[in-house]
Amino acid sequence: MKKLLPPILGTFVVLFVCSAPLRAEELTRFSALPGGKVRIEGTSTIHDWQMEGHLIGGRLEVGAGFPTEPGQAATPGKMEAKVSAVIPVSSLSSLEKDGKPYSSKMDDIARGKLRMDVAPLIAYQLDELVLKETPKTPDAPYLFDAKGRLAVAGVTNSISMPVTVTPLGNKKLKITGQVAVKMTDYKIEPPAPVGLLITTGDEVKLSFEWMVGQKAAAPTTSPK
Amino acid sequence: MNQSDRETELNRRDFLKGGSLAAMMTMLGGVPLLAEPAPGPAAESNTARPKVKCAVIGLGAWGREILDNLGLVLKDDLAEAEIAAICDSYPASLRRGATKAPSAAQTADYKTILDNKDIKAVIVATPTHLHKEIVLAALQAGKHVYCEAPLAHTIEDAREIARAAKKASKLVFQSGLQMRCDPERRFLQPFIRSEALGELAMARAQWHKKQSWRSASSNPEHEKALNWRLDKTISPGLAGEIGIHQLDQAGWFLNSRPVSVTGLGRIAQWNDGREVADTIQVLLEFQNGVRLNYDCTLANSFDADYEVYFGSFAAVMIRQNKAWIFKEVDSPLLGWEVYGRKETFHKETGIALMANATKLNAQGAKGAAEASVIPPLHDALVTFLRNTAEIASKTEEFISLYGADDPTALAKELSTVHLEPAPGFLEGYRATVTGLKTNEAITTGQKIVFQPDWFELS
Repeated sequence: MKKLLPPILGTFVVLFVCSAPLRAEELTRFSALPGGKVRIEGTSTIHDWQMEGHLIGGRLEVGAGFPTEPGQAATPGKMEAKVSAVIPVSSLSSLEKDGKPYSSKMDDIARGKLRMDVAPLIAYQLDELVLKETPKTPDAPYLFDAKGRLAVAGVTNSISMPVTVTPLGNKKLKITGQVAVKMTDYKIEPPAPVGLLITTGDEVKLSFEWMVGQKAAAPTTSPK
Repeated sequence: MNQSDRETELNRRDFLKGGSLAAMMTMLGGVPLLAEPAPGPAAESNTARPKVKCAVIGLGAWGREILDNLGLVLKDDLAEAEIAAICDSYPASLRRGATKAPSAAQTADYKTILDNKDIKAVIVATPTHLHKEIVLAALQAGKHVYCEAPLAHTIEDAREIARAAKKASKLVFQSGLQMRCDPERRFLQPFIRSEALGELAMARAQWHKKQSWRSASSNPEHEKALNWRLDKTISPGLAGEIGIHQLDQAGWFLNSRPVSVTGLGRIAQWNDGREVADTIQVLLEFQNGVRLNYDCTLANSFDADYEVYFGSFAAVMIRQNKAWIFKEVDSPLLGWEVYGRKETFHKETGIALMANATKLNAQGAKGAAEASVIPPLHDALVTFLRNTAEIASKTEEFISLYGADDPTALAKELSTVHLEPAPGFLEGYRATVTGLKTNEAITTGQKIVFQPDWFELS
């Protein structure tokens, strides 16, 4: 297990290395592709609220046995995989229920609460991936349980969530997931504008749809 | 230390050199987990958006006005931009411009600015007939462009500019129809389109300012260049240079396209050999039947500039960025009139119509007075620079995450970015058509019937 470094003043971004030792030449790399989406849904005493972004960067590296093609046979159980994913906080914008932009003021408040000036990225690292169920049809998703660490506003917590992986052919995968977290677990005080008698619910639901693909003949990480 | 540990150590050191998204993305997979940072001043963070460097090309009277407003914008509203360079081919104008932007690089050749990769945006305020060459080159060079109105001195050139701007979908193009960025007018537009005024009967607008438009120079060649507005072969006339803003506003408020224009012009005051009218009177008819009666003169300053929209229930008068509603005695109650601030004009009492009225009223006379002194040009420049900063930032984020080899996906992502409303290439082009055809009606003495396809780009 790699040691944690001491805190760093000023600019701060969380990145990860996978804790499980993997032989480099077994890994197939998938890079982030445009077309992803992340959504945050929350509540308040006056109305529910939502934010969305369309930028999810990072990469997925998988070992042999991971389903990368539609209908591929796979054995339920622990899978060899590394994930490093990032979402720029600045890419998140508030929306009305019908998808129209809601308020740039709310966007500014959210970015302040997420401490964008010192933690400009929401980051995720995968620690363990377990295949639970293979699909019944070739175009259906594979169901996984994922355990990892989520860093928001400079605070990192372990999270577990169900994840689906749908191979789309052409060396592309669609990965979806959803998890409920509490703002206070990330030391974020739920917004409560002074004088307006509005309080925001602590729990928020994060959901994402991430597109990854192989950009070229997969060079793996450095040889042994 | 094994190979993997050496790579990690190397990546961590490289990462600590810079905290940009781009730098971080190269370190993916190789940098150890960092714990929560100790609190430090935000200024130490190098993750703030880089400033958008802009340049002003054309430093005549209006270019210098732009510099004055930019100075205020950058001081009060927008830390996200800076004036990196200024340009004019005439040394005296360049010197005068430099007094307003002393830290900007100075150049007589706009191509120097376009070659500078650090400069992301240009504001083109040259004489109208020079817009096309500079704007097309700027778009080709990947610059965001603010192009003064009218876009060009011919419809063909304006169409070429608009088509190029449309094609450059990853860039911000804003035309200089500054009234469309004025918060007061954006507040009024839905109001005038609503039923509050009843059936719209007619509209009136004027722009009066006693001035010559002629400039002197000891160099005959330079004097000719300075007085381009008096050269009938290239001048858009009063209608194209001045009237375009109020003519465009009328169509915008009425949500209607012009169908015909009749115009008269004469030289009333400045009989100095010029052939461009110093006084014009125009009747512009719109699809919805409303006609705008417009006059513009360099011979007299009385009553300056204003617009009035007359309806069966009320009239609305707009002067600079203030407005009032004058209700007919038989008009239905709107409900809020009793709370509105009233002002008397000769025999008429108008109720002030103001954006953010509640907030300004709470601030009292001081708040209202402060709100009224901000010119539309200021708001137009703020809008342009904010939109440019937003697009530049989103482009950089996208390329950092996904690379630069999918321009279609980048364009799609940028089309979802929420920008402040601004007059783009289509609004600028259509306003230019209206202004130039109005000038043509004046110079030919012929009524012009607008063809619908004149307003389309294809």
